[in-house]
Amino acid sequence: MNISTGIKELDYMIDGGLRTGQCYAIKGTAGAGKTVLSLFMTLGALKQNIPVLFISTEVEPSKIIDYVKSFGMDFDDYIKKGLLVVDKIALKPQGINVVQTDKFDLSAIIARTKAKMDAIKAKLVVFDSISAFIAEFQYEKTARSGFMDFIREITKEDAALVLTAESQISQEHATLEEFLVDGVIKIRSELIGNQLVKRISVPKLRSAQPISFENRFIINKDGIMILRSENPPTIYIQEEKTGIAKLDELLGGGIPAGSVILIEIDGETNYFPLFLTTLFHQLKRDKGVIIHSNVHMHSARILEEFNRVECDITSHLNEGNLVFIDKYNRTVTAVEAREMSQHITTDDMISVTVELMEAFTRTEQRSVIYGDLTDDVNILSETDFLRYFALQSFNVKEKRGVAYSFINHNAISREILARLRTTADIIIRFSRVNYTNYIECLKSSTGATFLPKVVKFRDKYPLVEIIG
Amino acid sequence: MEMKLLFFTSPTCSWCPFIEQVLERIVEEAPHLELEIIDITKDIEKAEEMEIVAIPTIVLPNNQRIIGAADERFIREQLDFYLVMG
Repeated sequence: MNISTGIKELDYMIDGGLRTGQCYAIKGTAGAGKTVLSLFMTLGALKQNIPVLFISTEVEPSKIIDYVKSFGMDFDDYIKKGLLVVDKIALKPQGINVVQTDKFDLSAIIARTKAKMDAIKAKLVVFDSISAFIAEFQYEKTARSGFMDFIREITKEDAALVLTAESQISQEHATLEEFLVDGVIKIRSELIGNQLVKRISVPKLRSAQPISFENRFIINKDGIMILRSENPPTIYIQEEKTGIAKLDELLGGGIPAGSVILIEIDGETNYFPLFLTTLFHQLKRDKGVIIHSNVHMHSARILEEFNRVECDITSHLNEGNLVFIDKYNRTVTAVEAREMSQHITTDDMISVTVELMEAFTRTEQRSVIYGDLTDDVNILSETDFLRYFALQSFNVKEKRGVAYSFINHNAISREILARLRTTADIIIRFSRVNYTNYIECLKSSTGATFLPKVVKFRDKYPLVEIIG
Repeated sequence: MEMKLLFFTSPTCSWCPFIEQVLERIVEEAPHLELEIIDITKDIEKAEEMEIVAIPTIVLPNNQRIIGAADERFIREQLDFYLVMG
């Protein structure tokens, strides 16, 4: 029998749910959310009318029932219906002295637990927490081996057993109970910036392949949320890659998320190899890409170029990873578009900007914007253009995305170029001298600029090769 | 005043018969003490009421406990200590 935990993503992580006859340990440091997770598992089972026995070793049952109310759960109804028993087990009643020796077993709590399980026919037993319970014993080793009997006896009753166990930060080796349990759910918290980020993983899962990645684990008033790390929201992406290994290396390992990259080209250099290489790299990593299309950079041309270099992006198009935001009707030809661009007004640009930002907000993994700004500079008034660029940059930073903005520096005024350079975090410049192309980095938020390097364009992916 | 010693035992406990003998001897010597032997597999309610966790457990009249098996001297010492001090 499989018991859903009530958390879809967690069910997926433990291969469909908690299995009866198996024992799971939730491990984590203090405050990681072990008890909360076990309480949500309890609720998940109760919602399927599966009886649950919840044993707490630290907190009085009445306190737990009060505590879960702060998460919008009401255990009282389930208790009245006979689906739930919340119980406290401790080594001794409060205020009583105990003398301990090392010759004992835990058959009393096994028998007591079994009796309570029988009373409600419990299929899920939660024991919170084993660490606190064991710590009460003077002879912890005996208590631990006694607890192994507990695990064996309870799982024999065709019930799933969930234990919570505290892991010390320094304690990286597996503790005794980790060998005996069938699954280990681990919650880890780390401090990133000033934010405590929790991650959940399943390092051990008997009878199934454990998934090999950590997911984000979020507890808030609405409950528990687990975000699959295959599609992390952009806000947690710390570093992006351009997809050109040499360029990443020159830029000091990559691009910090939230960067606006200005790529300056002269009118003669083709920026498409760089554009296509980075774009294809983003798509390969399942990142969403937004292309702010215009005369130079429009859907038909991009698809044509991808076909030419034999990169298949059909699946990404079907999945909607690639979004084109067109200023013009997509069916027009380049010549027509060029003509139409003469009639574009500031209002049109604003609506395009709004559309762009909405696309950015809609799906969180859409993290990369591409755009050729050359036309926009010439169409809009100076102030409108700078306002538009500032708005775009602000949104990119806010959403921790990356914007690649291409610009022909020969076609715009020096003043505007200077203003753009101020706003941009990274400036990459292409130049051409005597039929040799050079790439250089004039500015970088990480400080990793570099002098001109020879760059070669190739016919196959990766299309850009930096030499020297 | 009669005082009761509660001795919690189970059929699987290998130390229990020995402790039981010791306790019986002690009770014989002290007429005001009475011994009640509780098999937790038969009387789980009592174990629940007294919040028994481990076997063997001796519950003294003042509710103090001895958890685990020990030799006769140790048990006598503890009993003397608790019954006098407690």
